[in-house]
Amino acid sequence: MAHGTSIQYEPVAEIGGGAYGTVYKARDTESGQFVALKSVRVQTDQNGLPISTVREVALLRRLEQFDHPNVVRLMDVCATQRSDQETKVTLVFEHVDQDLKTYLERAPAPGLSPDRIKDLMKQLLCGLAFLHSNRVMHRDLKPENILVTSQGQVKLADFGLARIYSCHMALTPVVVTLWYRPPEVLLQSSYATPVDIWSTGCIFAEMFRRKPLFCGESEMDQLGKIFEVIGLPPEEEWPTDVTLSRKNFPPLTARPIKDFVPEINEQGAQLLLKMLTFDPLKRISSLNALEHPYFCDEETSTQTKS
Amino acid sequence: MAMVKTEPECRWERRLTTSESIIMGFHEDSGMCSAGTCMADGCVEEPVLLYPHGLKGLHSLQALVPSLLRHEVEIALEKLGLTLDRMYAWEMFLDMMKSQTRNSFPNADLPRNFTDATRAILVDWIIQVHEMMHFQEETLYLAIHLLNYSLRQIKVTTANLQLLGMVCLFLAAKKEESHLPEVSELCYLMDHTYTKHQLLRMERKVLYGLKFDLSYCPPLHFLLLFASIARCSAMVVWMARYLLELSLLEGQCVVFLPAQLAGAALCLARQVLQEPPTAEGEAAWCLASSIHAGSETTLLRVMHILASAAAKAHTQETCATFSKFSSPETLHVSRHPGLKNAPGLLGVCT
Repeated sequence: MAHGTSIQYEPVAEIGGGAYGTVYKARDTESGQFVALKSVRVQTDQNGLPISTVREVALLRRLEQFDHPNVVRLMDVCATQRSDQETKVTLVFEHVDQDLKTYLERAPAPGLSPDRIKDLMKQLLCGLAFLHSNRVMHRDLKPENILVTSQGQVKLADFGLARIYSCHMALTPVVVTLWYRPPEVLLQSSYATPVDIWSTGCIFAEMFRRKPLFCGESEMDQLGKIFEVIGLPPEEEWPTDVTLSRKNFPPLTARPIKDFVPEINEQGAQLLLKMLTFDPLKRISSLNALEHPYFCDEETSTQTKS
Repeated sequence: MAMVKTEPECRWERRLTTSESIIMGFHEDSGMCSAGTCMADGCVEEPVLLYPHGLKGLHSLQALVPSLLRHEVEIALEKLGLTLDRMYAWEMFLDMMKSQTRNSFPNADLPRNFTDATRAILVDWIIQVHEMMHFQEETLYLAIHLLNYSLRQIKVTTANLQLLGMVCLFLAAKKEESHLPEVSELCYLMDHTYTKHQLLRMERKVLYGLKFDLSYCPPLHFLLLFASIARCSAMVVWMARYLLELSLLEGQCVVFLPAQLAGAALCLARQVLQEPPTAEGEAAWCLASSIHAGSETTLLRVMHILASAAAKAHTQETCATFSKFSSPETLHVSRHPGLKNAPGLLGVCT
């Protein structure tokens, strides 16, 4: 088994030392295509491969069968026995050499056009709706793991990896960005698929601003920056299962979102606010977001004429 | 890499709508063949309903069927606990219909050294271990699927066949169960014929051989779904579950899709039990039948296999399923007298 990966996939370059370990760009010697190799070392105990690894990798394989256009292709899974206690699992993904971060950086001066942003958002939400309808949450959505092909197609990457890597992650002291984290995660409350919608909202704003919306340096700082924009939520919305008290924050009121994202149109601003809703239960779902008037073409044409 | 630019979300939406051709009589359909049903038959057949005379000539009803069926499917999936959110239930059903097409095999051929009889003995043993472990039924169906899949993907000697069977059950449990047995316990159940080390090595071999592909749409889910929509009696459902489990022992059943096996088991159960029809029951059956499970020829073929399996089940050495379904909890279905001449009900077998 050990030779399987190294013969078929020839490493070309190291393309990132993400939170989950090194990622390599490699060439598939059988097809000539470039691929991205993500490896993780899994501890195997006396009951074999951990259930979490078995389930998560199987889930990625299952999602792959649907061939969704806005989700990065998982082309292969390889596993290498390192020792009795350790197995290396390598996930082979299609390689897309541009992420949304570089895409935004490369966009010429006034930034992306409103139509381009709308198209990117639609594709992003489409991919997310697919994941959510399969009960998968991304949990770490950010411009770096949203890939944009040279044809402008959006592909979500690194979803569902959080749990595969979780045992490994505890051992890796890496800084994970807080900027796209929703309040419920920052407050260490329970969370579900709405986390991804919050991150999508942050990214939506960033597409207009070409810089992140909330750049906190710690959990507290991040929450403070969020409340400066959306206001301090009312007492009854504050989660009950958290240690951090609402009293730690100044009683700020919400400011108009257009102060922070001036280029956004009226419908866009409405949608953005629905995504940046404090209470995860009141936050818009990916399916409903796709049906928002912002994506309705007639609305845009009247907007641009006025 | 240089692909033609397609509008991604449109492509996706299109895929979903074509899946709606699973509703019979709604699309004048030829695309169904690509979904695998015709492939399994090796020829193109005219698609017919589970209940062949169900909707003929009822054009106004036919127009109602899609929304009615959708509603029923959503309720049934929610009732069965197969979906957490009704909002996604219909999409989930379409996914089930689509993904099951990957769950059958092009032929029933086994690697050299293995016969259908050997396979049946192994399956029977897995059924016993599964029962002893009090695992869920889904785990059994997944285990046998993994066995069928591994037999075709990896090389295993006859001596290791039992080990392979156990590993398939163990992996299925890792996927489905909340409580796992210890590996040492599994070795004990095999009279320590194999060491723990051998078992774990086989686990890796299977996982790598299958590339971690453990997804499976169990025929049981289709059975429960169809039965729920059709408002079948508890007796019919138990009988159908029995017949469906018998299909696991039949090597030739691997060429059929899960929905075909489920549809055939339910049809046969109804024919065997011959419960007096009610107007409401017939209407519900009619609606359930509008789901295209398979062509009439295919369903009849499966029904013949199941009928003859059920007729001889009590005389077989491999009778774990027969005993399981003879209990009072299962309404003694396996001992039902109607099963003895079940093949006769279906006319001459071809």
